[in-house]
Amino acid sequence: MYVQIRNLTFNYKNSEEAILKDFNLSITKGEIISILGQSGSGKSTLLRLIAGLEKPNKGSIIIDKKIMADQNTFLFPEERGVGMVFQDYALFPHFNVEKNIKYGLHAFSNKEQSKRLKEVLELVNLTEFAKRYPHELSGGQQQRVALARALAPKPSVLLLDEPFSNLDAGLKTKIRGELGKIIRQSGITSIFVTHDLEDSETIADKVVSLDISSSISMKTGTR
Amino acid sequence: MKFLRVKHLNIWSVFSFLFVLGIILSNLLVFTSLLQPPSENWQHIKDYLLADYISNTLLLITFTGLFTFLIGTSLAWLISFYDFPLRNFYKWAFILPLAIPAYIGAYTYTGLLNYTGIIQSFLRNSFNFHVNPKLFDIMNIWGAVFIFTLFLLPYVYTIVSSFFQNQSASLFESARILGRKPLNILFTVLLPLARPAIIAGVSLVVLEVLNDYGLVQYFGIPTFSTAIFKSWFGMGDIDSAIRLAASLLIIVFFILALEKLLRGKRRVESSTAKIRSIPLHKLSGYKSMLAFTYSFFIFSLSFLIPLLQLFYWSLITYSNVLSNKFWQLLWNSIFVALVATCIIVFASVIIANFQRISGTKLSKTYSKITTFGYSIPGAVIAIGVMVLFINLDQKLFWFYKIVNPESAKLVLSMSIAMLIFAYVIRFLAIGFNSVQTGFEKVGKKFFEASRTLGMTTTKTFLRIDLPMLKPALVGGFVLVFVDVLKELPLTLILRPFNFDTLATKVYQYANDEMIPEAAVPSLIIIAVSLISIYFLNKITMKEER
Ligand SMILES: Nc1ncnc2c1ncn2[C@@H]1O[C@H](COP(=O)(O)OP(=O)(O)O)[C@@H](O)[C@H]1O
Ligand SMILES: [Mg+2]
Repeated sequence: MYVQIRNLTFNYKNSEEAILKDFNLSITKGEIISILGQSGSGKSTLLRLIAGLEKPNKGSIIIDKKIMADQNTFLFPEERGVGMVFQDYALFPHFNVEKNIKYGLHAFSNKEQSKRLKEVLELVNLTEFAKRYPHELSGGQQQRVALARALAPKPSVLLLDEPFSNLDAGLKTKIRGELGKIIRQSGITSIFVTHDLEDSETIADKVVSLDISSSISMKTGTR
Repeated sequence: MKFLRVKHLNIWSVFSFLFVLGIILSNLLVFTSLLQPPSENWQHIKDYLLADYISNTLLLITFTGLFTFLIGTSLAWLISFYDFPLRNFYKWAFILPLAIPAYIGAYTYTGLLNYTGIIQSFLRNSFNFHVNPKLFDIMNIWGAVFIFTLFLLPYVYTIVSSFFQNQSASLFESARILGRKPLNILFTVLLPLARPAIIAGVSLVVLEVLNDYGLVQYFGIPTFSTAIFKSWFGMGDIDSAIRLAASLLIIVFFILALEKLLRGKRRVESSTAKIRSIPLHKLSGYKSMLAFTYSFFIFSLSFLIPLLQLFYWSLITYSNVLSNKFWQLLWNSIFVALVATCIIVFASVIIANFQRISGTKLSKTYSKITTFGYSIPGAVIAIGVMVLFINLDQKLFWFYKIVNPESAKLVLSMSIAMLIFAYVIRFLAIGFNSVQTGFEKVGKKFFEASRTLGMTTTKTFLRIDLPMLKPALVGGFVLVFVDVLKELPLTLILRPFNFDTLATKVYQYANDEMIPEAAVPSLIIIAVSLISIYFLNKITMKEER
């Protein structure tokens, strides 16, 4: 298994209630997993745990044989090599598209940076927008920049938090299709969370429901 | 009159116009006098002194700006991102130095550090240790930078920390996921993002330094404001005073332009709505101690120590100070501050409402000019207003004679009206900003609804807008009142003969080598300021909820 989450348990410090309790999940390499759950069911929290933004009370997270977190280890977000597209995209407003994408490429040489920039911009179809600032882009374009930025450092796993919640209903179907295509094209192992079954079914290989807490219902994708 | 299109000619536009005219006139007059041939004295000033004024002024603003930037931003950063012992206390404690005007800070520290002060006497009496007095001498330009930094710090701290606290957590988090360490993120993301806020804060600091008279005068540092006073009062050379004021005004223009340039044209607005605010990271071990100690150090220097010293002095001197004369002077302060504040709030409401209703370019220009007044140093406004009123007196002399054949030549320019007029010009911006923000929050829809229900503008204003504006009005009122109460340079130049306020009394005591006696009036000024800071925080917190 490429990603292995075992017995993950977590509650926020200021509340008693466990958001996740003995949560288990396994993902094979290149798989696209969708996590389905109502608002408040802990989807964002799960992604934040995988990214290292929160520390689990119990359980372990292993990605590509590397321990991200267990009772003895806790890697900081900058040490994990995962990519994440935030619900609000979190593009740096004072950087243009190019600088936003290169921000995660500090370990690359200058030449590699430019090469990688070109690749991901082509992947998301935004080559002409490299010099634009975030506020000069539409919502859908901002999202693709966020995706390109997350993919650029070649993360082991891509996490997407409600990628379609900020988009107009009319555009949603089209963008959903495009996004699914881009992710599949990049071949990256992905976890995306959503509250919309239709989102899950169109994009994912496998759907995991969070609502029936931790007892996981799976649907093997047809693709 | 081209300024007034008939279309907008109503009571709102007329009043707005009059207020704006006052501001323009009192500043333009400073320049028109430049057309007349200079006095001999001016030649001397220009050849021998001007370079000194300029270099001292530049040194003061550069280093005060730099240090307030470094300390204010670092405090804002600590408070906004980290949790450490007493963090919740420091969060608002760092605002408190705002209550202590720089000149009072300067007197206090001088008294604290001089030969008879508590530190040197303690060392002498307890350890028979005689220090090199040079070591404790802060009455020089570096001492001035030290004092300015301590007491102007809150401008940078408040603006930058509220900026940080309005950022979405996801910006910081995504930077970490992209592989950056927190310190690296501070320099690549947070500081560049906060640049406009930092520059806004530092500009306020710089303008305050230029406005100061009490501190530089006391420390004997030749700057424009001390030079203006010296020419006017010391030598009776009005012409040179005006020329110096004009030069200072040019520096102010330069700084305002620089501020605009540095802020950048690009609007750095966040591309995303704030979803989660930034969570505090709990510091532990030596880092937590370090943060705590640094905070305690700054808080002690900028508030605790001066306040304790003032309390101590008050205990010794209050029986001498609290005479009948003192109550007179307290009443004077409150009276002028109240009158000026009422006029300012009234004018602010009128100009802001005019701008909102008409929304024309002209009204926007008005609001810009209104805001401009606050950038102009008190000494410059004083000179402009003085010239304006003397001119008015000359023009109105025939009228004075009709009323009273024995009338003196100067009536208005000897009266308290001149002082109040000057306060209005200097502090209108503060009231105006509060009121305008209030209007923006309320929006236009209630106004429009009321108009469609058949109410006139004025009736709508009284029955709908005014009640909804109340928090903004109270906020503006408090801010202006405190600023007038502690104002020094304007008051010193323009007050009628034998008219003292708390601020001028503090100034006078300090200059008569009676620093301990200055403690009681100083504490009153500080107490009133503290109360108002408390009220303002309460109002803004209510609104945020
Ligand atoms: N920082 C936090 N502190 C305390 N509780 C939180 C915090 N963030 C989220 N929660 C709570 O955790 C639960 C799950 O939140 P979240 O993971 O954001 O759900 P989802 O993304 O599925 O809508 C919610 O009940 C929410 O109120
Ligand atoms: Mg969520």
